[in-house]
Amino acid sequence: MVTSILNRFTGAGLSVGLLLMVYWLTAVAGGPVAQARAARILSLPVAKLFYVGLVIAFSYHLIAGIRHLVWDTGRGLEKSQARRSAWWVAAASVALMLVIIYCAWLGGGHPR
Amino acid sequence: MAEFRLPRNSRIARGVTHAAAAGATQVRAVRIYRFNPDSGENPRLDTFELDTKSCGPMVLDALIQIKAATDSSLTFRRSCREGICGSCAMNINGVNRLACTTPMQELQGDIRIYPLPHMPVVKDLVPDLTHFYAQYAAVKPWLQTRTPAPPDRERLQSKEEQEKIDRPAACILCACCSTACPSYWWNSERYLGPAALLAAYRWIIDSRDEATGERLDELEDPFRLYRCHTIMNCTDVCPKDLNPARAIAEIKKMLVERTS
Repeated sequence: MVTSILNRFTGAGLSVGLLLMVYWLTAVAGGPVAQARAARILSLPVAKLFYVGLVIAFSYHLIAGIRHLVWDTGRGLEKSQARRSAWWVAAASVALMLVIIYCAWLGGGHPR
Repeated sequence: MAEFRLPRNSRIARGVTHAAAAGATQVRAVRIYRFNPDSGENPRLDTFELDTKSCGPMVLDALIQIKAATDSSLTFRRSCREGICGSCAMNINGVNRLACTTPMQELQGDIRIYPLPHMPVVKDLVPDLTHFYAQYAAVKPWLQTRTPAPPDRERLQSKEEQEKIDRPAACILCACCSTACPSYWWNSERYLGPAALLAAYRWIIDSRDEATGERLDELEDPFRLYRCHTIMNCTDVCPKDLNPARAIAEIKKMLVERTS
C-alpha cells in the first residue's frame, strides 16, 4: 500500500520535473539571453531544493518500477516476498539517491 | 473518481457510550459504527464498554454479546462463526477481516469496528454487496464445456490439475479483498476487483473448462482487469490466505502470451 502510494506520488513529481526540463530546453534553444536567464533561475537555491526532490522521486520510481516489472513476470507475488521486496526497494532507492547526489553535486568521480 | 472526504450525509458523528455493568473486571471499549437509514441521521460511533469475561474470545463473540445484553438493534451479518461463510467480514481496527476469526486479544487498544470500506451501508455493519455479487456473476463462475461429458463417468482431473484450482477455489466471497483495494474504491463500477478476478482465474485454469478463450476475451479491457496496479492490499488482507494479486498477474500474463 505505502509503496504503491509513493510510486504514484513520485511519478507525478517526475512529470512536474519534466516541465522544468522542457523550460530548460526551450531556453537553450532560445539564444544567449534566454540561456543566461535560465542558468540564473535554475541555479537558485529553491531550484536546487527541487532537484533533491527530483532525485528522490527518480530513484524511488525507477526501483519501484523494476519491482513492478518483476511482478509482471508472475514472480515475487507471495505476501512474504512482497513484504521483503518493499524493504529492498526502500534500501535500493536510498542507495541510488546517494550515488546520484554524490556524483552530481559532491564532485564524486569528476575532479573540478 | 477519487474522493477524499465522505459525502456530507456519511460523516460520522459522536455516538452514545454504554458503560460497563457494575462489577465488570476485564473491560474493553468496543467502538462500533452505527447507521440507521430510517432515522435520517448521520452515522455515529457508539462505544460499548464490554466485560470480555462475559463472552468468547473473538470479535464476533463480542458483537453477539453486545447485541444480546446491551443493544438489540445492533445489526451485523454472521452465520458459521468459523471462517467459512464469509458473512461477518468487516473493518476491524483498520483492517478488513472476519470478526469470527479475529481474536480480541490480537487487537491493540480499543476495538474499532466499521462496515467494509467504500460500500453503501444498509444498516450498521451490513454493507450492500449487490454490485459485488453481480461482478462475481459476470465472470460466469461455472463450468463451461463444448464437448459432451464421458457417458459413464464425470469429467476427471489429474491430481496436479486439481491442485492448480485448489487454492483459488477456496475463496469464500467475503469481499475483504475487493473492499480493501483503492482501485476498486475508485473504479468499482468498471473494475471487477480482486475477488471476481480470482474467481475468473479459477475457471480459466480449470483443466475441464472449455471457454478459456472467451473468458480471457471478456477480461481484456482497460478497466475490468487492468485497473489492478498490484497494490497488494487484496493478498494482504485475505482471511483465507489466498492470493488474488498473483491470480490477476497470471491472467495478465496469459493475455500477453496468447498474442505472441
